[in-house]
Amino acid sequence: MDEKFDCIIVGAGVAGLAAAMTLAKNNMKFLLIEKGEFPGSKNVSGGVLWGSDLNKLVPNYWEEEDGGWDRFINHRRLTFMDEQSSFSVDFKSSHFNEPPYTGVVVLRSKFDKWLAGKVEEAIAESDFAMDSFVAPNILVEEVLEEDGKVVGIRTGEDKFYADSVILAEGVNNLLTRQVGLQDKYVPADHMLTGVKEIIRFDQDVLENRFQLYGRSGMSNEFVGHATNGVEGGGFLYTNKDTVSIGLVLGLKDLREKEQTPYDILNHFKKHPAVADMIRGGEVVEYSAHVVSSGDKRVMPEKLYKAGLMVCGEAANLLMNAGKAIQGMDYAMRSGILAAEAITKAKEKEDYSEASMKSYQDALEDSYVMKDINNFQDAVHLLHDPFMVDKMPNLICDFGRNFFSIKNEPTKKARNMFSDSVKKHASYWDLVKIGAKGAKAL
Amino acid sequence: MKLLTLPERLGLVSYRNQAKSEIKPHIKVDTDICNSTCPHHCTTYVCPAKCYTKDEQGKVHFQVEDCIECGTCMYACDQGAVSWEFPDPEIGRGVTWNFG
Repeated sequence: MDEKFDCIIVGAGVAGLAAAMTLAKNNMKFLLIEKGEFPGSKNVSGGVLWGSDLNKLVPNYWEEEDGGWDRFINHRRLTFMDEQSSFSVDFKSSHFNEPPYTGVVVLRSKFDKWLAGKVEEAIAESDFAMDSFVAPNILVEEVLEEDGKVVGIRTGEDKFYADSVILAEGVNNLLTRQVGLQDKYVPADHMLTGVKEIIRFDQDVLENRFQLYGRSGMSNEFVGHATNGVEGGGFLYTNKDTVSIGLVLGLKDLREKEQTPYDILNHFKKHPAVADMIRGGEVVEYSAHVVSSGDKRVMPEKLYKAGLMVCGEAANLLMNAGKAIQGMDYAMRSGILAAEAITKAKEKEDYSEASMKSYQDALEDSYVMKDINNFQDAVHLLHDPFMVDKMPNLICDFGRNFFSIKNEPTKKARNMFSDSVKKHASYWDLVKIGAKGAKAL
Repeated sequence: MKLLTLPERLGLVSYRNQAKSEIKPHIKVDTDICNSTCPHHCTTYVCPAKCYTKDEQGKVHFQVEDCIECGTCMYACDQGAVSWEFPDPEIGRGVTWNFG
C-alpha cells in the first residue's frame, strides 16, 4: 500500500460507505478506514433511512433475501402524550408498499456491514480490485497537511497518502475539528443525546401487534410526556423481530433540568400507551449516541479545504423538522456528492480548495441543504418549550373530552377545545405558536 | 415489561478488549476542575453509562470502563475538564454494537 490513493475515506458509516461505493463505481483507487472491528460496529442510529438513494447505490436491493435492512415503512404515526393519554396522527398506505421504498428501518451493525460487503463487490469489479481497500480496526489520529493542502492521514506510526481525504467520521468529529472546520469545543446548546433499547419479540407476536405484513414496518415518533419535560422526543421503529425504542434529549436542557437519560427512558417505557406496545419483549441491547439537531447555528459552515471534504454527521447533516428524523439519507447523499466531486477533481487533476468547493455547491443545490435551509424555523419550533408540555397536554386533554361519552349533554368540539386551551395554555400561546408554525411550514 | 437498571443495561453491551487488564483510557477527565470550580457536575447525571460518579463527600470520579463512546460528556462539560478521543482498537476499550 505504498502508492498514493485517489482518496482516503475516514469512517465506514452511511456517508463513508456511500462515498466508497460511488468511488468504486467510478473506477477510483481508494482506502476506506474504519476504527471499529467491522463497518457498523460502532454506529448507532434510530433509525430509518429515508428516501430512495439506497437504490442508486445497490440497485434493486430489496430483491435480496436477507439484505441489510429490516423493514420498509408504510405506516407512520406521530403521538402526542400526557401522563395517561396518547393522541396520534396515524397514516398508513399501500402506496408505500412497492419498491423503491421511501424509507427502510435499519440496525447499523448489520446494515453497514452489509453495505460494506456491497462496496467490496464493487471494488472487485473496478480497475483497482487489488488496490482499493476497506480497512477496519484502524484509528486515524491525524489528517496530514503539506503546504496548506491535505495529503493523507496518520494512524499510529503509519502514514497513508492520497490526493484527497473524505472525513465521514460521525458527529463526534475530532478530525474535522483538528483541520479547523469545526470549533475545538462544541457546546451542548444545539446537540442532543439519543438513548435506545433494542427489544426482541417472537416475530409473529411483533407482526400481529403492529399489524405488519411481510417486510412492512411502522415508525412512531412521540412528543410530550415521553421526555419528562426535557426538550426532545421519542421514537419506536419495528425491525424484523425487534423494535428500536428510544429518545433524543436536548443536551443543554438535560444539564439544566438535572435529568438522566436512562431514567427518562424508563419513564417513557412506563407510559401506558408505550407499555402496551412493548409488553413481553426482551431487551437485548442498550445504546446511546450524540446527534446534532439540524440547527444551522452550530453546523460547520465550510465543508471543504484543499484536498478535503466533510460528509454526513461530521458535517452535522441531520434534521428533525417534525416530519421525520433525517440523517442517514443526508449522509448517503453527501457521500455520493463528495465522491462525484472527487471523481471530477481527478479528471481535471485539480484538488485545490476551489475544486473541492464544488462538493459544497452540489450539496447546497441538493435537497439536503435546501431542506435544512428551508426548515430552520421548524427546527426552532420543535425545540420550543411549548411543544414539550403545553401542546401535548392540551391535545391529550381535548382528546380525552372529545372521546368521552358520558350520557349527558355533549359540548361542541370547539368549546371543548377552548376549555383545553384555557386549562393548559392560553389563546395568546396558541397565536404565538400558530404564527411560528405558519412560518415554519 | 420489567424495566432495566443501568447495570443490567450495560451488561448487554459488548466491550472491546474486555480480557485485557490494562487498557489505555480514551477519555481523560481533569477532576480537579470538577471538584473546584465546576458549578453543576452535570456529567454525573447526563452520562448515559454513568461513567462519572459522586462520592459521599460530593467529589466527582471518572471511570472509562463502562464508556459506550456516545460523546455526551464532550458537549455537556462546558468547564474544559473532558479530553475526549476515540479508543485505540488494540489497547483501548469502547464498544462493538451487536445491533446498533
